[in-house]
Amino acid sequence: MKTLKLGENTFKLAWSIIKDLKASEYIGVLKCIQCGMCTSVCPAARHTDLDPRVISKRVLDNDENLISDDLIWNCFYCYSCHSVCPVNNSVCEINQILRQKAIKKGNGIPEIAPFSNYAENFLEFGLGSIPINFFDELVQDIGEDWLQLKVDLEDIRAELGLAPLTLPEEDVQDINKILEKTGFKNRLGKIKRVKG
Amino acid sequence: MKKIPDKEILLFKSCLVNLEYPGVESSTRYLFDKLDIEYIVSNRQSCCTGLGHYTDLFDQFSTTAIAARNFAVAREEGHKNIATLCSTCYAILKKSCNILNKNEEVRNKINNIFETSGLGNMEYIEDEMKSKDNIFHVAEILYSKSTEIENIFKIDLSHFKVASHHACHYCKAHHKDTIGNARDPMILETLANACGLDTVDWYDRKTNTCGNGFRQRYLNKDLSLSVTNEKLLSLKENDVDILLHMCPNCQMQFDRNQKYIGRSQATEFNIMHLNISQLVALALGADPYRVVGVQTHTVSLDPILKELKKKSID
Ligand code: SF4
Ligand code: SF4
Repeated sequence: MKTLKLGENTFKLAWSIIKDLKASEYIGVLKCIQCGMCTSVCPAARHTDLDPRVISKRVLDNDENLISDDLIWNCFYCYSCHSVCPVNNSVCEINQILRQKAIKKGNGIPEIAPFSNYAENFLEFGLGSIPINFFDELVQDIGEDWLQLKVDLEDIRAELGLAPLTLPEEDVQDINKILEKTGFKNRLGKIKRVKG
Repeated sequence: MKKIPDKEILLFKSCLVNLEYPGVESSTRYLFDKLDIEYIVSNRQSCCTGLGHYTDLFDQFSTTAIAARNFAVAREEGHKNIATLCSTCYAILKKSCNILNKNEEVRNKINNIFETSGLGNMEYIEDEMKSKDNIFHVAEILYSKSTEIENIFKIDLSHFKVASHHACHYCKAHHKDTIGNARDPMILETLANACGLDTVDWYDRKTNTCGNGFRQRYLNKDLSLSVTNEKLLSLKENDVDILLHMCPNCQMQFDRNQKYIGRSQATEFNIMHLNISQLVALALGADPYRVVGVQTHTVSLDPILKELKKKSID
């Protein structure tokens, strides 16, 4: 009888995905049967060349080029594929992990640099927000009323009986200490250097 | 069905509710008060990192550490049942909770960060929070009170045809914990029916994502809005007046972009967008400006306001 020998690197990419912190506990990367259910519900597949079934196949083919393939940046992170896969695979999570690999490699950094103002505000206030660099285009698309809303926000919140948006200074400092030690501040530094 | 709490609730604030539709929070508070749901809001709670996380800016470890800190805040405030206003907060917190419970290495690393930052009191103990037992979406809490809502709703809005947009990060990301079937979720319809409204229970694009796609709206606008357009066309075909939301990001995608999409397609969409808390609050008699926050919407809610006026005169 002939035995098919699989080298230890055969599923290297697949295993690195399975072991990633982002991957769900029971992610079925190795169980993909190429049924195409994921593709049938994927909004990116309807409008771009991203095809989740093919992403899954390329992972199983150990195709490391995926990490520098622009296609992975078309995903909406809508989890539609994830919710219908009969073997608990999740191309949604695979794409998230591949993008992190691209960021680590460096080629992914320009894709996330435009959002760095989100992180700056998070560190300053402990709160999320839409990055300021997108405001001009949003005002153009949505209308001046949207900008006026930003100006009037505190008054409207007061009218609705809602408190001003601030965390106590001590808590903001704690968040900064935590994000320093998780390595996030260092990561942000790298991202901002690419932007500048 | 999972057990849904009505006390010791931390109402978890959301960045896009804070900044875009604050009326979603005030409507929810109004309803929780009316329905005797015991809750607090804490100004020590930080945002979940969601928009940063799903634009790939935040790494999973940092997001999980921030979640562990917010879990500690909930515990210290004596309210460890979290109810989120946003579906992405819901997905992020559930994911982080699962990681903290199942991954000892990560848990120890985060506890070590707390310890060496003078935050030893924030230590996360395995299983002290359970994704299924302690983390909910506000819509689920309201859903568990559908019968009470049916008994106390005051204003008949049955004039309007309603459909739902159950946010992906609620119904698909942790689909095993979704109430009902993730492929045809019905909690928003059930709540609308409890307020006497008729619902379009199924339409072609019901399970379509909103199109925001985090980075896509900002960096690939055409792609993002083509997906939004598909859903708008399907709603228009079904003569829907109001689309019900449970996520401020989806609500923003539709409400803020609808006119723009209409202009670029040379068609007109007259679909109003309301969060489920806003709709139920209106049906229970809440003030549109001082509770529901209609003044922050882009698509005019005049037809609803007119109907409310008529009803108060009748
Ligand atoms: S739905 Fe699952 S099994 Fe089917 S092709 Fe997609 S990833 Fe593979
Ligand atoms: S998460 Fe990405 S790959 Fe999956 S269905 Fe949505 S857009 Fe497609």
